[in-house]
Amino acid sequence: MVVGFAIVAAWELVTAAGVIGFRRPIYNALALVGNMLGLAVLFLMLNAQFLFAAQVIVYAGAVMVLFVFIIALMNPESDVTLGPARGSEWMYGIVFGLIFAALLGVLLVNQGLTGRSGPFTPEVINAVGNVQSVGTALYTTFLFPVEVTSVLLLIAAVGAVYLAMRRIR
Amino acid sequence: MPVPAYTFLLLSGALFTMGAIGFLVRRNPLVVFMCIELMLNAVNLAFAAISRYLNSLDGVVFAFLVITVAAAEVVVGIAIIVQVYRAGRQMDVDGLDLMKE
Repeated sequence: MVVGFAIVAAWELVTAAGVIGFRRPIYNALALVGNMLGLAVLFLMLNAQFLFAAQVIVYAGAVMVLFVFIIALMNPESDVTLGPARGSEWMYGIVFGLIFAALLGVLLVNQGLTGRSGPFTPEVINAVGNVQSVGTALYTTFLFPVEVTSVLLLIAAVGAVYLAMRRIR
Repeated sequence: MPVPAYTFLLLSGALFTMGAIGFLVRRNPLVVFMCIELMLNAVNLAFAAISRYLNSLDGVVFAFLVITVAAAEVVVGIAIIVQVYRAGRQMDVDGLDLMKE
């Protein structure tokens, strides 16, 4: 388990660096696909099989296919051909990275989770089934957020169709 | 449970940081969007890890809602990017100042 986690974690960091680092957008998109599949494996390690399936279908499937199609359709320029960089972006990036590295250092000092433990141990979840337990939580405790999400998806679909029909100058 | 919880949180924080750096550094709007997805994924990892180590299902549900919202956000965002592209603007987030006019 530890070895597997180390391998997947290294894969995640490498592909995330690929998302930032590659100059051509199609390579960024492919690195992000790899990153999302690695994350799905991490969900499996965390006994979240439902999230694993959702991650693979929604992210690695739908969202990334959309990205790759748009890149193939638009053939966007790489950052190199966008003209001279301002030079200040890297400064912002480095400053933000240092701030977050400090936050991660705090996490290394306080290693324990102090929250109240709930009833859903892996044994309880696996006795019922992962999808069944998540579905029960979704449609009882979290019924209102789920309904709001369905309205949000409808608004997004209508908005995308509207934007696609409209021509801006 | 051989892998302690904070290693998952460390990985999540590292991925979030890399996404944020990419968001600040990259100039192509599509790649900026990918970096946003990277950050959302990192948050999902933290949700799933905390949910697992505190024996709760709330984190899994939150992560599922985040995935749904991210899908909606990508649809609208890419529609706007395509519109800007069809208007013949340069694909550079620093050059996108249509709202100023």
